[in-house]
Amino acid sequence: MSRMLLCVPALLPIIGGVAILFAGQRNAVAERKLEFWVEGLTVLNSLILGWLIFGAGEGDSLVLFHLFGNLKVMFRLDGMGRVFAGLIGFLWPLAVLYSFEYMKEEERKSTFFAYYLMTYGVTAGIAMAGNLITMYLFYELLTLVTFPLVLYPMTREARQASRKYLYYSIGGAAFAFIGLVFVLSFSATGTTEFMPGGVLDLQAAEAGKNTLYLVFLLAFFGFGVKAALFPCHGWLPRATVAPTPVTALLHAVAVVKSGAFAVLRLTYYSFGTEFLRGSWAQWVMMGAAMVSIVYGSTMAVREAHWKRRLAYSTISNLSYILLGASMMSPLGLVAALSHMVFHGFMKIGSFFCAGAVMHQTGKQYIYELDGLGKRMPVTFGCLTIASLSLIGIPMFAGFISKWNIARAGFTCGMEAAGLGMGAAVSGMTAAAGPGIWRFLPFGAVAVLLYSALMTAVYMLTVLVRAYFPKLIREINENGNGKEEKMKKAETAACDPNWMMLVPLLIFSVIIIGFGVHSQPLMAFLTEIGGAAG
Amino acid sequence: MTGMEYGTFTIPAFCGFGLHLELDGFRLAYTLIAVLMWAVSGVFSGEYMAHYEKRSRYYLFFWLTFLATAGVFLSADLYTTFIFFEIMSFTSYVWVAFDEKKESLRAAETYLAVAVIGGMVMLMGLFLLYHQLGTLEMSQLCQAASEVKEKGLLYVAGGLLLFGFGAKAGCFPLHIWLPKAHPVAPAPASALLSGILTKTGIFGIIVVSCRIFGADRYWGLLIAVLGIITMFLGAFLALFSVNLKRTLACSSVSQIGFILVGIGMYGLLGAAGENPSMAARGAFLHMVNHSMFKLVLFLCAGAVYMNLHQLDLNDIRGFGRNKPVLKFCFLMGALGITGVPLWSGYVSKTLLHESIVEYQMLLMEMGEGTAAGLGMEAAGAAVMGAARRASGALNVLQAWIQSPGFWKAAEWIFLLSGGMTAAYMLKLFVAVFVEKHPDRQAEFDAMSGCDMKKSSAAVLLIPALLILIGGAAPSVVMDRLADLGQGFFLAEGMEHPVVYFSLVNLKGSLISLGIGLLIYFAGIRRFLMKENRYVDVWPKWLDLENMLYRPVLQTGLPNVCGAVCSLADRYLVPVTVKVFLAVSAAGCRLMDSLADGLIRLARATTHRQLREPVFRREEDRAAQTLGRFLDGWNLAWFRLKGGKRSGREKPASRIPALMQKEEIFLRVGQLVEESFSFGLLLFTAGLCLTLGYLLAVFFRM
Repeated sequence: MSRMLLCVPALLPIIGGVAILFAGQRNAVAERKLEFWVEGLTVLNSLILGWLIFGAGEGDSLVLFHLFGNLKVMFRLDGMGRVFAGLIGFLWPLAVLYSFEYMKEEERKSTFFAYYLMTYGVTAGIAMAGNLITMYLFYELLTLVTFPLVLYPMTREARQASRKYLYYSIGGAAFAFIGLVFVLSFSATGTTEFMPGGVLDLQAAEAGKNTLYLVFLLAFFGFGVKAALFPCHGWLPRATVAPTPVTALLHAVAVVKSGAFAVLRLTYYSFGTEFLRGSWAQWVMMGAAMVSIVYGSTMAVREAHWKRRLAYSTISNLSYILLGASMMSPLGLVAALSHMVFHGFMKIGSFFCAGAVMHQTGKQYIYELDGLGKRMPVTFGCLTIASLSLIGIPMFAGFISKWNIARAGFTCGMEAAGLGMGAAVSGMTAAAGPGIWRFLPFGAVAVLLYSALMTAVYMLTVLVRAYFPKLIREINENGNGKEEKMKKAETAACDPNWMMLVPLLIFSVIIIGFGVHSQPLMAFLTEIGGAAG
Repeated sequence: MTGMEYGTFTIPAFCGFGLHLELDGFRLAYTLIAVLMWAVSGVFSGEYMAHYEKRSRYYLFFWLTFLATAGVFLSADLYTTFIFFEIMSFTSYVWVAFDEKKESLRAAETYLAVAVIGGMVMLMGLFLLYHQLGTLEMSQLCQAASEVKEKGLLYVAGGLLLFGFGAKAGCFPLHIWLPKAHPVAPAPASALLSGILTKTGIFGIIVVSCRIFGADRYWGLLIAVLGIITMFLGAFLALFSVNLKRTLACSSVSQIGFILVGIGMYGLLGAAGENPSMAARGAFLHMVNHSMFKLVLFLCAGAVYMNLHQLDLNDIRGFGRNKPVLKFCFLMGALGITGVPLWSGYVSKTLLHESIVEYQMLLMEMGEGTAAGLGMEAAGAAVMGAARRASGALNVLQAWIQSPGFWKAAEWIFLLSGGMTAAYMLKLFVAVFVEKHPDRQAEFDAMSGCDMKKSSAAVLLIPALLILIGGAAPSVVMDRLADLGQGFFLAEGMEHPVVYFSLVNLKGSLISLGIGLLIYFAGIRRFLMKENRYVDVWPKWLDLENMLYRPVLQTGLPNVCGAVCSLADRYLVPVTVKVFLAVSAAGCRLMDSLADGLIRLARATTHRQLREPVFRREEDRAAQTLGRFLDGWNLAWFRLKGGKRSGREKPASRIPALMQKEEIFLRVGQLVEESFSFGLLLFTAGLCLTLGYLLAVFFRM
């Protein structure tokens, strides 16, 4: 029974979504009824997912059907899948709650929620995929179900953005497919099933080493499209035209994290770190992530549109995850996973704050935010917490993951450069990469430093704007001529209602909670890392 | 160690690594000082902040900062220090930005930038340190550091930590935030910023210097040189300032320099094999003293500001006349900070001065800094390693720094800085308490008696009297305090007590005072006062922040990186796509024309068309034949159906239509025959035949 349940979290929302889509097309579904069904299905699905995560899904695997020979669609919930599934299972009901309020005034609601629900299923499918081919299928599906959401506003801008999104994603998946084929043909077991440490037949792989490295990089950049890796990031800032719940949940968590998750699966569970460590592929991967971080954080500083700024910040932060992954060590995986979880909370929180402001005041640009800090205290309080966490201030969750990434970088750097204790213990000195590349991990740490500063600039300027409004000159003309007065720029606004605030408050509590007490989660992640690295 | 056991306190796994707090003599002393300072400025705030809105915000961050600061001073590992340090930086930011004026926000921006950059750099230092030593516990650092063979990376880690802590302390190239932030913050907050928040930076520098490097010559030298520069530069800036609080802020920079000199001398004396406790005690006592001085002086400035809302010396001139309490307190602070015998500043400055003199003597004893002496001293393996790498120029520099002459000069800079301290304090005192305001003196005098509430005056007197008590009975108060604090420096007690009021020690102080009077009368009154007004002759452009940091960080860095990034965004990616498309289009066209060219080539050579067609036949023979046949068939069918009887006409001939079709067919056929595809088709057919043949052979066998 519990084995059959494994496919439920992926299929239930998809079926539900399709049903809503058809019901909505025939006759307008009543608002209350729609909300009831959507929230009900989401919560039910999250509960099932939670039940599977905490114990029931242990070690089971379910083969749904065989596509062809060894290619089977298969679900399994291992440690890493649990982390991702737990993240989305927790966030989705809250995001749905938020969207009810946000989308209140919009038309075509049933379409929106139908696709929103379907995306949940598809993302859960990615999290629970037991082999590369299943993950690939759901990965392609994700593009197709999220594409209508980007298109949703149906403006010219949205049409262009969604077209770009489609091109990028499908193009990327094509590259990823190459990786899939090669993993299948070089696999030791003849399947693409995820195994900690990789499935490659190392002896066979050694012969065609450089080809495989190239294929790995192609697949990395292919999956990297969804993770908004530098040269393939173009779709993300454009896609911010979608309604905020979409940008927040999909383009800050579900879709982009699926990309990062797929890269982690590819690196640690398919190709295996043993094969990749110290190779030129690792340095290219690391370099690409570093460039992305610098690019994302710099562009975020220069961007004045709030949501686009956050999108650039996502580019930079997603590459933190990839940077962690590129360290090819247990510590690197732990760092990557922890940043995946924490960044999920921080970024969805920031986006929801931006959405709340847009919803309440219609303001989209940062220079319009003067004085809102006092008007919307709860929203901006939550934003403050999310911002400090994004910068990496201690006591907040972001610090923990950044600390881990930097630590992984140092360890990797020490090993690669043949310095310190790590080298002596693991005997890595001989296997260290060629020449100057060995010092790349140290460069990674410098990049982290730069990015932290830029993060401080682009997040804090928003807060400073909101809390310490600029004085504007107000000229009153009355009987005694012109009277000049400095006045604080202010706008009338108030906090949104509970449906928007509850998710925000929960995120804030979680950010601080993990910041202060991250031990259980980190222990769990270390266990995963230990097995896979 | 002091031999006393205090408690420790841990929360494991808090924020990842766990918090670890500890209490020892130094921490006890500084926690108590923090309590005292917050209590005094808290009471003073009651009056000072009475007319401000947003008081609750001020008090919230006031007490949050207190907790964080206490956390820094109680921390037992550097990770805990870092956590509280960051919290403190952010909560105290609100103080600086408090009144939300333009210059406050600008100063706050500077403060935040220094804090954030400092914090991040410090974090990098912590990573590196943790990696090499495997611990951040202060009690284990010393042991772990001594086991490190290759010290290169340790210096890097130490340098990063020094950057982070130094930024908060106000050490030379990073002192920029103090003169900006202190004048704009509310006075009680300035007192705390200057009096104790800078000391958290010093706290960190002490940990790094004494626990990690200990008796390390190079490190000691670095700190000492930075200290000398900071000390001189701060005092020099203070001479020029005409703003009461800005002068005090510059003075803070200078005094931090004095403390750094002490910490540097600790390392140098230790490296030379001498007991460095004199330097340690001097540095510690000067920390405590400076906290007290700045508490008193900034609160006095606050008293001026809350009455006049002005800080320019020309505007507040003569305000202090006939206000005995204010005058007394300010005088205590001024005399203390100047280092006049009988006030506590004298004690610490004497110790610091003595430590420089001692090092100088030591170098002289070691044979005028000869190579032999140097070689003897540099016997340590680490030092040798560093020396080996050092280039020739560095060796010369090193020899110069190691010469007693250099330290003689350092001693004189020390005395000169002391002199400048005397001069600018005299300038402030004379301006506020002696001179008369040209217009508003009567108004100022009328305020006497109601300038401060009783409670404010009472709390202000506490630290003022402490300065006097400490200085008047140094062996009772100051020595015991130093005994309490020196354990933190890992310094042992003094071999013999210092006789503070001996002639030798008094001499240094008197020289300083003499220089001070000279500077005041020959310099300040002459060049810095025009037509009886204080003028700021410091050139506006000569500002490290505006000259270097802001351009680099605000325009340079983001613009360069941003330009590269937007270049990539706007051009690189689209251009790549376009180039890709263009290249593939060109490739297709090339292949196309290649095929065409082949055909043309073939037609020109092997497939050349003969002038005379090979066969000539009736163009429409097939059409004629088929047409005739069809016509006949139709006619037969027509007759069978009844022919003319049914009244229908004979069917028309099909021949013309067929002829047309045949013509088209032939023309197309000719084209096909001449085309490349036809060749391919033939080739394929040939392949098929070959395959068939092979299969046939295969199956027959």
